[in-house]
Order: sequence, then structure tokens, then C-alpha cells
Amino acid sequence: MSAVALDHVTLRVGSRTLLEELTLEVAEREHLLVVGPSGSGKTTLLRTIAGLAVPSSGELSLFGAKASEGSRVLVPAERRRIGFLFQNGALWPHMSAARQIEFVLEQAGIAARERARRASELLEWVELRGFEQRMPATLSGGEAQRVALARALAVEPKLLLLDEPLGPLDFELRSALLAKLGELQQRLGLTIVHVTHAPDEARAIATRTLRLRGGRIEESR
Amino acid sequence: MSRPLVLVAAALFALLGLAPLAVMAARVTPEDLTALFTLNAATLLGRTAVYGLGVALLALALGVPFGFLTARTDMPLASALRPLGVVPLFLPPMMLAMVWTAVAEMRGAPAAYFVSALSTFPLVAVFAARAFERIDGRLEDAARLVGGTRAVLRATLPLALPPALCGACLAFVFTINDFSVPDYVSWLGLPKFSIYADSIYATWRIDASPGRAVAMALPLLVLTLLMLLPALALRRRGALASIAPDFRSPARIALGPWRWPAFAFCAGLIALGAFLPLGRLLWEAGGGPRGWSTSELAAAFSMALERSRGDVRNSVVSALVTATACVALGLVLGHALERAKRGRALEPLLVLPLAVPAVLFGIGIIVLWNRDATAALYDSNALVSVLLTGRFVVFAALISAGAVASLDPSLEDAARMAGAGPLQRLTRIVAPALRSSLAGGFVLVFVLSLRELDATLLVPAANHTAMFRIFNQIHFGRDAFVAALALLLVFLIVLPGLLWSLFARKRLELLP
Repeated sequence: MSAVALDHVTLRVGSRTLLEELTLEVAEREHLLVVGPSGSGKTTLLRTIAGLAVPSSGELSLFGAKASEGSRVLVPAERRRIGFLFQNGALWPHMSAARQIEFVLEQAGIAARERARRASELLEWVELRGFEQRMPATLSGGEAQRVALARALAVEPKLLLLDEPLGPLDFELRSALLAKLGELQQRLGLTIVHVTHAPDEARAIATRTLRLRGGRIEESR
Repeated sequence: MSRPLVLVAAALFALLGLAPLAVMAARVTPEDLTALFTLNAATLLGRTAVYGLGVALLALALGVPFGFLTARTDMPLASALRPLGVVPLFLPPMMLAMVWTAVAEMRGAPAAYFVSALSTFPLVAVFAARAFERIDGRLEDAARLVGGTRAVLRATLPLALPPALCGACLAFVFTINDFSVPDYVSWLGLPKFSIYADSIYATWRIDASPGRAVAMALPLLVLTLLMLLPALALRRRGALASIAPDFRSPARIALGPWRWPAFAFCAGLIALGAFLPLGRLLWEAGGGPRGWSTSELAAAFSMALERSRGDVRNSVVSALVTATACVALGLVLGHALERAKRGRALEPLLVLPLAVPAVLFGIGIIVLWNRDATAALYDSNALVSVLLTGRFVVFAALISAGAVASLDPSLEDAARMAGAGPLQRLTRIVAPALRSSLAGGFVLVFVLSLRELDATLLVPAANHTAMFRIFNQIHFGRDAFVAALALLLVFLIVLPGLLWSLFARKRLELLP
């Protein structure tokens, strides 16, 4: 069974076509690297899989269940249980590091005490023990991105979408986060779709690379 | 955001803001429209347009330098003068008219121009100040390298000018729709200064015909929209000078020997628009020409509290309810304006209740709610909040929309991926991130509600407010009681802003 299956998915906004007749399968436990120039549709592809962008036509299935058909959304974004690591982390500015994670767990109906325990556990896993009460404005780029990763994992996703996760980080932090991602995939058996404009860095841990151009697949290897 | 939530908010706005206008418009007959084509109406309209333009130009001439000097230069006490510059806008214009006509013996048109310019220049100043401080320092540095200060001005002025012009357009709208200042200066004696809003009030007073009142208001509505719609477009262009994630603050400009003259200009404006009027009221409350004493002052205040306790309470309760309702409704509408597909189409509808003359909106409220089925509401203080919410929700919505525009959409996307529904996202993610803007909207609506007179003048339920009491009382002679009541009202008006600046770390976002 494919983790993600797109069947002739097209996405238009006004007169612009952002994705065109895209057909793609991502196997379970695969780490797919999506590369391409700016405006090629990389982020749009992630947003479509996540349910944040609605296709104009085509079908999208997640782990065998149809998530959207044409422009009809069958499973909305908030019910897809997908982890999404945004380009800039997208940390909520008014919540501490622990609160970011607890908010996610609260949505899943987990009791308050359990939420605090799991938030600490996740922060420890991303090597941010003791950062529970730190606010986003006080975190460095690397720390913020690791909090965002912990938050994305809080939904216990089977699919993790990464939108240029290494973008704002320096070389050392990039290597550390890449190692963490490799470990994550090994340990949890996650499927990862990873968008980047710097493919060389992540190629070592990726299982396949997909090149997009103008909303179409140019190359897959 | 979820469609049902937006639809509920839109339906509420339609009931509170648009229905009073719709019921009025439905009563216009072709005969009513003939009243428009008279020489008197044309003269009044022309005079009103000239008055509005004149005041807007004066506000621009005073507000742009004030905004620039307080936001960008090393002028002494710049950071203290900047918030104080808003105070003249908060004071009821009629109160300024009361004081300046007494202090300077001003009458007729000059008095109206002077008072309205003093009252509205902060609109330009706050827009200009925000724009000047949001110009990226690197942009200025790049211009300075190629052509010095001249190049800096040429590069940055086009970014600051649209917001300043937006403020001037709003000054025009506030001025031509304010009936209290021309009414007061005319009431004092010759020379009279009547504007178009007077004639709408007079028409209703003479024959209570909604159709004729609407017909009379149409030219003023057109005039208002002619300025309000460009103001909205300029407000959006003003977003060009907005803060990017890697924003670098511009350097403060050293004024050298001009530091103290600049201070004198800014402090002088605040003195004319706020301190002198308040000082004069304090003098009048303490006995005035009969001889000032603290015991007289205390007696005036206790009389004001004793005789107007109910009016003050009604005013405060109505303003609090209105501000709360406007912030809640404005958050949903503002979010839809910015994020929903074709949300911008809502904007002209949202400004409509503000664009119609205030007196006409008040008449619309009477026509809509004065029925057997709604008699309980019509006779209660709640009607004042209904009226004010319909009229002022646009401010809260535009402030929210501006703040939503600067909020990274991925914050909401991240909450959605976490499983949060639309209401959760709005209340747990968007609202806390926008708290200084929501507080700004609350304060602005609270202040406007407390000082509103024109829209409430004809509505019986609003006859028991502090502002109405002052309006009534000054027509029967000025005394220590009126001055004390006016000061009490001013204190309540500035209180939320004062508390915010004392206890909050973030600056209050007051701009739509």
C-alpha cells in the first residue's frame, strides 16, 4: 500500500497552474526528496498532500484511503494526522516550547498531566531538555526548528512533510537535524516527503529524488 | 475559517450595520429626491466639501511633521510626545469647540476649521509615524549611499505618504460628518457656520420623514465615499512600508540645532489640542471668572457625580459592551477580509455604516427598532450598544484585518495540522497573536463610543448618556458642573489607553 498516491492531480489558482496532472506514489517508509527551482510547485505539492491546498482535479489517497476527489475534500487537513515541519518553524509566538506540543496533544483529547509528560519527552528527544518554558522569541534558529519538529511529531504521524527544514540553519545544525531525521525514520518507520532546494545535503538519507519543474515531474530517480 | 462562523458574523453585521440603512433607503420616494436640487442644498454641499478638504490639508500639514519628528528623530521627549499626540483625537470635538470659542473668542468658520484640524491631525500623525518607523534601515542606507539625505527622502517619502494621505482622507470623513462643532459655533451667535449634516438633522426635526432624510443625505454619502474608498486603497498601499521577518530598524535622524524648535512644534500642538483645553475646563470647574478654588472644584465634581451618575454609568456600560462586541465581531470579519476568497469585496459594505452621516444612521436605528415587537430593546440602554456596534465595527474589523495580514499564515496551517478546528484556531492561535491589535480596537471603539453624539442625538434611549447631558447642558449655559462632567468624561476616555501604557509592554495598535 502506498503512503501517498496522487492520480492526475492538478491545482489551479486563477489562471496559474501550480500542479499539472501530477501522478505520484510514495511507498511506506520511503524518504522522498522533492527538488526543483523556485516556483516549481514543491511547497504546493506538500500543501496538497497535507490538505492545506485543495486540488482542482485528480485524486489523492493517503495510506489507501481517499483524502480528496476532484475539488471535493473527503478528509480535511485537521483530520489527516500528518506531521508538517514548516519552512520557518511556524512556532506560535505566544506559546512556550512545551505549550506548542501540549496544544497539539490537547487537540487529540489527551489528559493534561499526560500532555505535560509527553511534551517533556519530545523536547528531550530533540535535545531541548529544560527548554519547556522558553518562548519562541528567545530560541535560536536551530532550537526553534527542533521545537517545531517535536511539535510535528506530537500527532504521532505516519507521514511527515518537511518544507525546507534546513533552510535557516548553519552547516553544523543542518548535519545534526539531518541525523535526527534519519534516526526518526529508522525508529518510527515514518514516511517522509522532504522538499528542499539544496538536494546534496539530504541525498544521503533519501531513498528517492523527484525533480519538479512548472508543476510537473521532470525526473524521478 | 469555517463558513458558518463567517456567515453568522456577516448576518449580525447586516442586522446591526446595514439593516438600519436598508429600511431607510426603502422609504425614499421620487418626490423626496427633488429636495436635493435646490440652490441652498448645493451651497451647503459645496461649503461642506471645502470645509472637509481644508481641514484635511491642515491635518496633513500638522500631522506629517508631527509623525516624522516623534517617530524618527532625536527630538527631546519624542517617545513621550508620540502617545500624547493622540489625545486631541480622543477628546470630543465639541469639547474643544467649547473651550476654544471661550478662550480665543473664535466664532463661525475659523473656529470650526481650527477646532476640527486640532481634533483630526492625530489621524495623519499616527499613520505617518507608523509608516516612517517601518521603513527598513537598509533601504535608507542604500539610498543614502547613492545620493545622501535627498535620496533618502525621495526613496522613503513615497512609502510614508500613502498612509499619511489615508489619515487625511479619514480626517475629511470625520470632519464633514461631525455636526456638533458647526452646530456649537453657530449656536454661539453670528457669524453662523452651517454644513450639510445640519440640514439632515433639521429635515428630520421638521417633518420626521425618513425618505427625505435619506434623500438629503445622499450627496454627503457620495462625498464621504469619494474619500473613504481611496483611504482604504491607500491603507493597503501603506502596507508596502511594513515589517519583513528580517526587518532592520532605521537609524534615528539627528536634528542638531533643530531639536528644540522641533520639540516646541510638537509640544505646542499637544498643548493646543489637549493640555490647554483640559486646563481651561479645570479652571472653569474650579470657579473660573468667579475665582478659582479647590473647594469649588471639589464641589463641581461631586455635583457632576451626583447629578450625572446614571448618565456616566450608562455611557461606560454601553461603551464597554460595544467595544467587546466590536472586537469579537471584528476579529471574525477582519480575518475573513484578509484570508477568505474574495474577502476584500466585503470592505465597501463594512464601511457603509460609517460612511452615512451619523445623524442618518441614528434615524435608521429609530425606524428599524421602533416597533411593538422590539419595544423592550428600543427603550433600553442596550439599543445604544446596538447602534454603536453597527457603526463602529468597521474599525475593529480593519484593525484585525491589518494585523491578520502581518500574521504568518503558516501559524494557522500548523494549528490546522495539529487538529484544531476553525474556532480553536481563531481563539487560541490568531487572537492571542493579535492581542495588542485587538486591545487597540477595543480602546478605539470604547473611546469613539464614549464621545459619540451625532448618531445618538435623536435616539431616545441614548438621551441618558454623559455626552448627551453635556450637549444639553451647554445650550442652557456653561458652568462649573458642565466643565467637571466634561473632565470626568475625558478621564474615562483616556483611562484604557493610560492603563495599557502603564501595564503592557507592547504598543497599542490603534490604526485601522
